[in-house]
Amino acid sequence: MWLVRPAQPGDLNDILDIAGGQGPRMSSTLPKKQDALSTKIDQSTRSFAGINKPDEPKRFLFVLEDTRTGKVQGVSGIDARAGNGQPFYNYRQDALIHASHELGVSRRVEVLYPSHALTDHTLLCSFAIRPELRGTDAFELLSRARMLFIASHRSLFTDKVVVEIQGVQTQDGEVPFWDSLGRHFFNMDFETADQYSGLLSKTFIAELMPPNPIYVTLLSQAAQDALGQPHSQTQATYELLQREGFRAGCYLDIFDAGPVLEARTDALKSVVTSHPKTLHAASTDDGETCLICGGDGGDFRSTLTPLAESLQDQVKVSPKTWEYLGLSSGNTVRVTPL
Amino acid sequence: MLVIRPLQENDLDALYAMAQGAGKGLTTLPADRALLARKIQHAQETFNQRCAPEAGLYLFALEDTELKRCVGISGIQARVGLDEVFYNYRLSVTVNASRELDVHVRTPTLHLSNDMTGTTEVCSLLLSSSHRGGGTGLLLSRCRFMFLDDFRSHFSEKVFAEMRGVSDSNGQSPLWDALGSKFFDMEFSEADMLSGLGNKSFIAELMPKSPIYLPMLPDAARAVIGRVHENTEPALKMLQAEGFNFNGMVDIFDGGPAVEAFIHSIRTVREGINRHVMIRKKPLVTDVPAEQQVMISNRSFRDFRVTTIPAECIGLDTVSIPADVAEALEVESGDLVRLAPLKDTGRR
Repeated sequence: MWLVRPAQPGDLNDILDIAGGQGPRMSSTLPKKQDALSTKIDQSTRSFAGINKPDEPKRFLFVLEDTRTGKVQGVSGIDARAGNGQPFYNYRQDALIHASHELGVSRRVEVLYPSHALTDHTLLCSFAIRPELRGTDAFELLSRARMLFIASHRSLFTDKVVVEIQGVQTQDGEVPFWDSLGRHFFNMDFETADQYSGLLSKTFIAELMPPNPIYVTLLSQAAQDALGQPHSQTQATYELLQREGFRAGCYLDIFDAGPVLEARTDALKSVVTSHPKTLHAASTDDGETCLICGGDGGDFRSTLTPLAESLQDQVKVSPKTWEYLGLSSGNTVRVTPL
Repeated sequence: MLVIRPLQENDLDALYAMAQGAGKGLTTLPADRALLARKIQHAQETFNQRCAPEAGLYLFALEDTELKRCVGISGIQARVGLDEVFYNYRLSVTVNASRELDVHVRTPTLHLSNDMTGTTEVCSLLLSSSHRGGGTGLLLSRCRFMFLDDFRSHFSEKVFAEMRGVSDSNGQSPLWDALGSKFFDMEFSEADMLSGLGNKSFIAELMPKSPIYLPMLPDAARAVIGRVHENTEPALKMLQAEGFNFNGMVDIFDGGPAVEAFIHSIRTVREGINRHVMIRKKPLVTDVPAEQQVMISNRSFRDFRVTTIPAECIGLDTVSIPADVAEALEVESGDLVRLAPLKDTGRR
């Protein structure tokens, strides 16, 4: 059985192990160092409990637990406000028309503008899962449980949700966009920069990037080709988020030019389809597999369950599922189809 | 005798022939009869003070008095960028630094600039191949500094020259290929030609306005920024000897440097002296090396004349010149003339 629940201090080593299996990615919000991760888990715990320190941003970290072994096999997160009180940097892909009436020419010039426009929107982040689980129901549970959490704690989040998708990287680990742009300003390769990025705030690093617009035509061809393109490994994530209602807009990751997906919170599939319902017992284990969640704050749990019956205001699921969710008959849950 | 005088209408044929012979690269004087005729007319209006001082275009002809023909031309534009927009790239540096990351990276950056607006430019130097050598080019170029010296109120305090940048024998410019052509679908030679026809600011308006970070350009393009075409090396050396220095501005098309100097610090200006004319009867050997020649100007705005004489003519208060020289300069005994060494004497 797969269960998504808030991350706890005891999950530290499992999460470190999973994070270590990820390649270098500067925009990742998942620390690979023990201290930083431990701090993040503590902050998440306070966020779930609603006892944040003054001015402390709300950052939620979930884990995917295999209940048979108790091992954590995946991790995902939500930052209630992108940037967490600091500017959140992206490039905005835009165009200028360079035209001359006198010379009878008009030319479209693609430009990347540094932007903070997505700052303070809710950000889905820190997603990492064992490679063998990618594309499975557990993978979908880990990602979409966040949408269910947003649906059941709507007031904590903004009207728009964004998510950064990892950009193109070659098999040797080279990032064409970085090599054509960022590297000139950092004087280091992507992997080295990535190691630093775990130690310093993203803002700090973003501030080393050039503050002026970048002309796309001056980037290497490989970098131009990579603009807005997801890493091949993110295929499943990308498709899942598209089904959820996310679309690529004009924003790109400043380090690898991966796409930033955007959605209106109230139009997310999981939010639209998951109404609060009362939990009742089902007499059978049959039924279509659904995502189900319940519990407030730190008690939030989400899992996969066969849905025996769904009526206007109530659902019937096996009491075995109640156990995982820590709920009992009469409690409120949300259910959404896979 | 070779004499500098204002360019006139009847110089058109000679000028057109020279412009044709110059080929690509001389953007300010394209081989276009109508355009050249307009320039001559503009110059005439300027010398006759029929146009505003800031709109002045001073074009000087080098006349071979035996051939009775113009064999070279040089010019001064009183102010650039007043009726059109004058663009350069300013070569500057962006520093990205982080003590924590141990990063301190200097990134050379080009910023589009109009900083030269309102500044006096020396321009349009062209010398017929038949008359090159023996200091003729120096006379053609440096006579302008004598003019600037005597009529400073018509010009800015600073004067600059744009030097032709690097392009190969096919007229390909590495900077244009890496930068300009990405924004303007055109060969460098064509853009250059359009510039000469007065369309430079139109083209400039199609160029990128945001800073260009040089590491994003290929090495071939970066290597030519601030460098002059090999044919322009002598002209650059001549200006450097006059005290001109690279001012950090480069041409937006080919990356050629601009060099500038304050008029009061130009060598020809600093070393100039005034003397009263005395017509000499004694014969004079005029065929002396350039090192021993001095320029002599009649200090006339409307009928400006400059030629060269041997330095030995200069006395304590006077300069004794043969009658034919006095005639060519349109001066008489007792008139005040100005003299300056033709060549850099090494004095500082």
